[in-house]
Amino acid sequence: MALASSETKGIASRIGKFINQSWLFVVFFVAFFLFWEYAVVFFEIPRYILTPPSDVVRNGWADLPRLLNYTYITGLETIIGYFFAVVIALPLGMSIAFSSFLRRTIYPFFVCLEMTPKIAFAPLFISWLGFGLLPKVIIVFLVCFFPIVLNAILAFNSLSEELARFCRSTGAGAWRTFLKVRLPAAMPQCFVGFKYAAINATVGAAIAEFIGSDQGLGFYIQIVTGNMRPDLAFAGIFFLTLLGLALFGLVTLAEHFVIPWHISVRRGAAS
Amino acid sequence: MTALISIDGVKKIFGSGTLEVHAFGPVDLDIEAGQFVSFLGPSGCGKSTLMLMIAGLMEPSSGQIRLNGLPVFGPQTDIGIMFQDNTLVPWRTVRSNIELQLEMRGLPVSHYAERVANLLRSVNLDDFSERYPHELSGGMQQRAAFCQAMVHDPKIMLLDEPLGKLDAMTRERIRTDLQQLWMQQRPTVTFVTHSIEEAVQLSTHVAVITPRPGCLDRVISIDLPFPRDLDVKNSSKFVRHVRDIQEIFRGFGVI
Repeated sequence: MALASSETKGIASRIGKFINQSWLFVVFFVAFFLFWEYAVVFFEIPRYILTPPSDVVRNGWADLPRLLNYTYITGLETIIGYFFAVVIALPLGMSIAFSSFLRRTIYPFFVCLEMTPKIAFAPLFISWLGFGLLPKVIIVFLVCFFPIVLNAILAFNSLSEELARFCRSTGAGAWRTFLKVRLPAAMPQCFVGFKYAAINATVGAAIAEFIGSDQGLGFYIQIVTGNMRPDLAFAGIFFLTLLGLALFGLVTLAEHFVIPWHISVRRGAAS
Repeated sequence: MTALISIDGVKKIFGSGTLEVHAFGPVDLDIEAGQFVSFLGPSGCGKSTLMLMIAGLMEPSSGQIRLNGLPVFGPQTDIGIMFQDNTLVPWRTVRSNIELQLEMRGLPVSHYAERVANLLRSVNLDDFSERYPHELSGGMQQRAAFCQAMVHDPKIMLLDEPLGKLDAMTRERIRTDLQQLWMQQRPTVTFVTHSIEEAVQLSTHVAVITPRPGCLDRVISIDLPFPRDLDVKNSSKFVRHVRDIQEIFRGFGVI
C-alpha cells in the first residue's frame, strides 16, 4: 500500500517537475508562431514569399495524401540506407579496431573520405543509377556510414588499461573477453555514432532528392518552391522534420534498451 | 623450502637509446606464503611496474620472477589483482561484477554462491549486492572490487594502491575491512602504497623502495599482533616503526 501511494506520488511529482521545467519553452514556442502569423500580415509580405503558419497548416492538410506518400518514400530511402550503414559499418569498425593490417590500409582511406562531403557524390550516383530509389539509398548510406565506422573504431579501441589487464589475468580467451567485456564496454561510444548518423540521414535523403528525382519530400519541396508556394514548402519541411525526429527517437529508444546502465541514458531518464 | 614469490635480479628499463628510462631494480626478494608485504616508496619508483611483472602482464628487462618455483612467463591466472581505478564494469551489479571474475575463468557461478555471499557480508555490502557501481560511494566500490579480486580464491593478491583515491576517513575504515579479509582468507599479498602508516598497519613485512630507479633498500618485519586496531596503532611499538621508516625516507630526501 505504502509503496503504491509513493509510486503515484512519484509520477505526480514527475509531471509537476516536467511542467515546471517546460512551461517557458511552450510559451516561447507559441509566441514564435504568433509573431510569425501576425508579422506576415503586419509587414504586408506577399504570399509567394512567406505565408503565415495558419496557411501552412490549412494548405498542407489539403495536400495531405501527397505529403504522406512522399514521407513514406523518403522514409523508406532513409531507413534502408541507415540500416545498411549500421549493419556494414559496425562490424567493419570492429575489425579495423582489432586488426593492425586494416588499421594501416582502410583506416587512413576512411579518414580521408570522412573529410569529403558525401553529398558531393550525389550527382554522380544519380547519373550512374538513374532517378529511382537506389541512388538515394546509397547517399543516405554514405552519409551514415562514416560516423558509425569511426565511432566504432574509437569504441573498440578505448577499453581502459585496468580492465584490459584484468581480462588478461583471468586467462579468458579472446572470444569470451569480447562478449563479456569489450562488446558491452564499446556500446556507449557506438551509440554516439548511431545517433549522429540518425541526425544526418534525412539530410542525405532530402539533398539526393533535390538533385534528381520524381518523388519524395525533397522533390516536393523543390517543386512547390518553384511554383511560388512557400506554404507547401513549409509543410514538406515539417514532415521531413518529423521523419528525422522519428528516426532519432527510435535510436534513442534502442539505446535505453541496450545500455540502460550508461550515464547519458541515466541522465536523460532523470531529467 | 622455496619461496612462493621469488624475485631474482629483476630490472625494468623503458624505451631505448637516449630515451631510455631505468625504472626499476635490480631487486632480489623472496616472499613466503601467507605474508602481507607492502612495497612502500615515493611515486614513480616502479612499484606498480613490479606488480605488473609479478602478474606476468609485463616482462622484466632482465632477471626472473618465479611463482612456486615456476618462472613467470605470460599472464598468471592464480592471482587476484586490483588497481587504483577498480575493474568494476558499469553494466553489472555488485554481485554480477564479482561473478564476472568467475565467468571469465569459466568457473561455475552457482558453486560460488555461498562464497560470494560471505565475501559481501564481510565487507558489509550484503544490502548492496544488487546495486550498480554508480550507486555506490568510492569506498563501497573499492570494497566490492576486493571481493571481485579474491572470489576465485587466489593464492596471491597483487594490490596496486587500491585505496589511493579514497578520502582519509574512508581509507582508515577500509584498511580494517581489508585486514579482516586477509585474516579470514590468508592469501599472500603484495600491496603498493606510499602511506607509511598504512604499510605498518597492514603488513607482516614492509619493503622499503628507494626513489627511481626503485631498488630495495631494506625489508622491515612488523612484529605486531593482528588485528591491528586503534589500540595497536597507538602502541609505542607501532609509533616507533612509523618513525623509523620516516627517518629512512628523510635520508632519501623525499620527505
